[in-house]
Amino acid sequence: MNQTDRPIANSIVVLREEFDDWAVLFNSDTADAVGTNPVGVAVWKLMNGKRSIEDIVSQIRKSFGDVPEAVSKEICTFVNTLADNGFVGLALESK
Amino acid sequence: MSRVMRTPRSVTVEITARCNLRCRYCYFFNNPVVEYRDLPADEWLKFFDELGSLGVMEVILAGGEPFIREDLRLLIDGIVRNRMRFAFLSNGGLISDETATFLAGTGRCDYVQVSVDGSCAEVHDSCRGKGSFDAAIRGIRTLQRHGVGVAVRATIHRSNVHDLENIAHFLLDELGLPDFGTNAAGYMGSCRGNADDVLLNIVERKEAMATLLRLAAKYDGRISANAGPLADGRMWHRMEEARTQNAPAFNNGGHLTACGCTYSKIAVRADGVIIPCSMLAHLELGRINHDSLAEIWNNSPVLNQLRNRHTIPLSGFEFCAGCSYIPYCTGNCPGLAYALTGIVDHPSPDACLRRFLKEGGTIE
Repeated sequence: MNQTDRPIANSIVVLREEFDDWAVLFNSDTADAVGTNPVGVAVWKLMNGKRSIEDIVSQIRKSFGDVPEAVSKEICTFVNTLADNGFVGLALESK
Repeated sequence: MSRVMRTPRSVTVEITARCNLRCRYCYFFNNPVVEYRDLPADEWLKFFDELGSLGVMEVILAGGEPFIREDLRLLIDGIVRNRMRFAFLSNGGLISDETATFLAGTGRCDYVQVSVDGSCAEVHDSCRGKGSFDAAIRGIRTLQRHGVGVAVRATIHRSNVHDLENIAHFLLDELGLPDFGTNAAGYMGSCRGNADDVLLNIVERKEAMATLLRLAAKYDGRISANAGPLADGRMWHRMEEARTQNAPAFNNGGHLTACGCTYSKIAVRADGVIIPCSMLAHLELGRINHDSLAEIWNNSPVLNQLRNRHTIPLSGFEFCAGCSYIPYCTGNCPGLAYALTGIVDHPSPDACLRRFLKEGGTIE
């Protein structure tokens, strides 16, 4: 099966919302942790393998007021960083 | 001061009240408020499910001696299943090849902390019992062989204070550990009945501080301490230097700021009673599987009072009256403060630099 362009969160990773809506993503297999702001938390929750990056950016624009133009690039960077660290993969095509 | 997390990051769980040793300074045994009984595995497994749902990152398995539980693998499976990591506080004596293989296989064991109090059996066994040194070292070597992280803690007491140089050489040079930690026997649990034989007197404390400071410099960064002579020595040197230079108050100075544990950690006794910390086992916050941990964490008046200790000025204590170190003092551990004074919200007399100097101590 081929990979899609739809990111999917690694199910082993735990989202720990800590305070002021900031959070830590924690991979209990590797002990790696990444801190993230409220937008990152929202992006994480949207990565269910059914939405493309464009869908996620669109949803973020709807959910947060006063979203800067650069948000699309920033979300891509965020998702790529997570992917590089094994926190995110790409969903496979379903038959 | 850091803010409180929504849920604890780390939970210390005393999974058993049993132990194969009876160490003379054990903080755990002989605490009159504790009911020494074990819970069945299904109680712990249900609790681990709750911890998983709260996003807890690490479970510290303590006791008693955690490796004494026959159903340990079942409990660890429950931790792993809930996407958490784990660590152990152990005397090392019950760690077999099979156990180490299992721990390594989970990929989730951060470390096993083994207590080593001497460079040889004669010193180590003086407080821990015959055969305990050989068993601990065998356990460490077994863990090393299987690639499981080992942390060693040396507790300083009257019988090993003259062995510190040998201990450092043995642990760092012979066993090849990257580092080890130190603390000191405290006036808690079994130690209360053996205090005269176990706790350092002022001369021994001075010796321990000087030796450990020298060894810490020699073994650059490889000897650590959050409590005990090395931690006191480091802190008291800073305080004395600040006082003589009439330096501004330390950021955390002048109030009961020492303990930040209650912002990110909590503990559970072997009988299932939730407590702030193993050093404060009398402060019962609730019971696992009966009370919501999230509710306790966020709303317990006892926990919130502990978290607000940092607002209590040292200048308000008669114990601190007229002390020139107040701007640089944090009051130290509330557990030890309670053990020595019967009051949690009190500076710990054991960590008082002025008292140390008054009793003949020196900062060199």
